[in-house]
Formats: sequence, C-alpha cells, structure tokens
Amino acid sequence: MKKWLWVILAFAAGIGLGLLYGWAIDPVDFVDLTPETLRADFRADYILMVAEAYEAEHDLDLAARRLAIFGSNPPAEIASEALQFGPSADYSPSELSTLEAFVQDLRGWQPSSGVTP
Amino acid sequence: MKRIPWEAILALLLGLALGLGYAWIFSPVRVVDAVPSVLRADFKDQYRAVIAASYAANSDLPRAEARLALLGDSDSYQSLSGQAQRALASGDALQSYQLAQLASALQGLAPTMKSSTPTSSAAKASPVAETAISPVLPSTSTPFDDSILFPEYTPTPRPTRTPLPPPAAPFELLEQEPVCDETLAEGLLQVFTITSNNRRQIPGVELILAWAGGEEHFFTGFKPEIGNGYADATLSPDVIYSLRVASGGTVLTGLGAPLCTRTNGETYVGSLKITFYRP
Repeated sequence: MKKWLWVILAFAAGIGLGLLYGWAIDPVDFVDLTPETLRADFRADYILMVAEAYEAEHDLDLAARRLAIFGSNPPAEIASEALQFGPSADYSPSELSTLEAFVQDLRGWQPSSGVTP
Repeated sequence: MKRIPWEAILALLLGLALGLGYAWIFSPVRVVDAVPSVLRADFKDQYRAVIAASYAANSDLPRAEARLALLGDSDSYQSLSGQAQRALASGDALQSYQLAQLASALQGLAPTMKSSTPTSSAAKASPVAETAISPVLPSTSTPFDDSILFPEYTPTPRPTRTPLPPPAAPFELLEQEPVCDETLAEGLLQVFTITSNNRRQIPGVELILAWAGGEEHFFTGFKPEIGNGYADATLSPDVIYSLRVASGGTVLTGLGAPLCTRTNGETYVGSLKITFYRP
C-alpha cells in the first residue's frame, strides 16, 4: 500500500514539474505572430502612426488598408481603440485631436473601387 | 541494502512527460501583449512602412528611430532600403519613396523633399515608362540582413514635434564624363549623388531622365553594393536625353550614349557617368 502511495506521489510530482518547466521555465517560443497579439500600447501607437500619415496624405482607402492588419472590424472601430487608450498613455492633445479627426473621417468612409479593408 | 524504487521513478518520469506534453502541446502559454519584433515578416514590413509614412508626415526622426528599434532589425537602414526596393519593384512608388526617405534620414541626411504630403511625381512615378523607347532599369536585388534581434522593449518616446528641416540646397553638376569600358553594359547611364563637403553619397534622390516622348523616374540608393548614392538607367543609342534631380537644380540637356572604339577599330556604345553634388 505504501509503495503505491509513493508511485502516485511521484507521478503527481512529475506532472507538476513538467507543467512548471513547460509554462514557466521554458515556455514555447513564439515567432511569426499576427498583429492581433500586439500589446495595447503598440496597437495604439500603430494606429496613431496611420492617423499621422493620413493627416498628410488624406487617403482614407490607404489608411483603412493599413488598419486592416488588425482584422476585419470596421476601420473606425479599430481606430477608436487608440482614441480610448490614448489618454491613459499620456498622448498629447495634438495626438488625440489627430486621432479624433481620423476616427471621425473613418466613420463616414465607404470602401471605394472594391477595396476591402 | 535498500531497493531502488523503480516504480516511483517511472511514475515521476511519466508524470513529467505528461506535464510537459500538456504545457507545450495541448495548452501552451497563450501569447498576448506581444512586441513588434516577433511579428511575422510580412507584418513587420507593413509596420515598417507605416513608420516611414508617419515619418514622412511629421519628420520626427528620433521617434521613427525608436519605433524602428521595436522591430528588432539588426540594421534598420538595410531593412528600409531592401523594402523600398521591393516596394518599387511591386509598383508602390509612394511607399518606396517614404521608405527611402527614412533610410536617408537614418544616415544623417536631410530629406530631399518636404516630408509632408509626398504625393508628387514620386507617388505617380512608374518604374518603367510606357513608351516604346523606354529605357529599362537593370533589375537588381539588394542583399539585406534578415537576422532578428529581440531587444528589450523601450517605450516609444512621446511626441516631440520637431520643426521641419530647412529646404535642402538643389543639386548641381560636379562631373560628367563618357566612360569607354567594355565590361560595362552598352549605353549605361551611371549617376551618383554626393554631398559637397565630405563626398558622402546620398540615397533616396529621385532623378528624372526625359527624352522626346517620355520620361523615366529612378532613385539613388537601390544598389548599395555599388554605392548608396548610385542609380543607373540605360540610354538608347541615337536618342537625346535630359537629366535632372526631381527636387530641382541643374538640368543636363543633350545627353546621349557616347561612341567608343575598341582596340581592333570597331565602335561600340559606351556609358556615361554623371555626378551631382549638393552644395
């Protein structure tokens, strides 16, 4: 009886050690990730860059294509993320106004010539 | 003598294998909060292009550099140059222009054009003109280092709206000479753009080669193996060309491929080397 208790305990300890090693000490290395996995501040910064470029280029189709990196949600919805995140990340008033104008323009945007963002 | 507890050791190893299998295969750590350096290569390219577009809009080089560092490129200049070349080859002249401009800026060179709204001829430029006598730019591939580093994340600096750089002085002609070298392609037009003070080569300079019935736009810096300020095109025999830098400066007219003579007396079409400098 005592022998089986040791076997069960060793088995449980093995599982515990395996999980510890596989999750904490040497977890799976991830490369080739998609943009959806980016941390919120990087996502927001990317959106801000698109908004800054749009401010100079005035090309909503191009801006929408650039935002499509984050999936198939409407571009205005994607851009709104940065607008919501900005105040907590100390975005400057000019950056926030750039984002706000960008989101406003995207709300009225319709894909042209079959471009799907 | 005490007996070795094989059963317990086997159970431990079995448990270890099951635990590892579960942790690595069935339920690996979920990736959230990833950094840009671990993005797939094509997404990194898109991220880099947007950094260049943002830089074209605000000319904030320190911020662009900080953003580029997040991508973990071992050499941002090479990555930008290589991507600019690929963009040009795929017909995206605007993206190519923006990437080349940022690459130039990284080398400490002022942008050759005002950075905002780059929608001029560069955006409309086609790598190949549509006329029958269109000179063809030799295709090249730029070697660039794809190795990836994973730097520690440093937060992107908050905006510092830097003033736009003063307009750069227009390019002027430094040297124009026919080259009779049989090893070069016939009718090769070689153009170099350099600075006047230290003769550093300037990449990302848009050049316009025009002839009766057409014109060709091409950029320096897409053949870094020859020189960062180097660009070339092919001159057709018996066609008269003019050449200028798109941002202004000297206009060279009456250009043509020179005729050279081989040692056996035969003639062949030589090449032309032109060097522009920025005062």
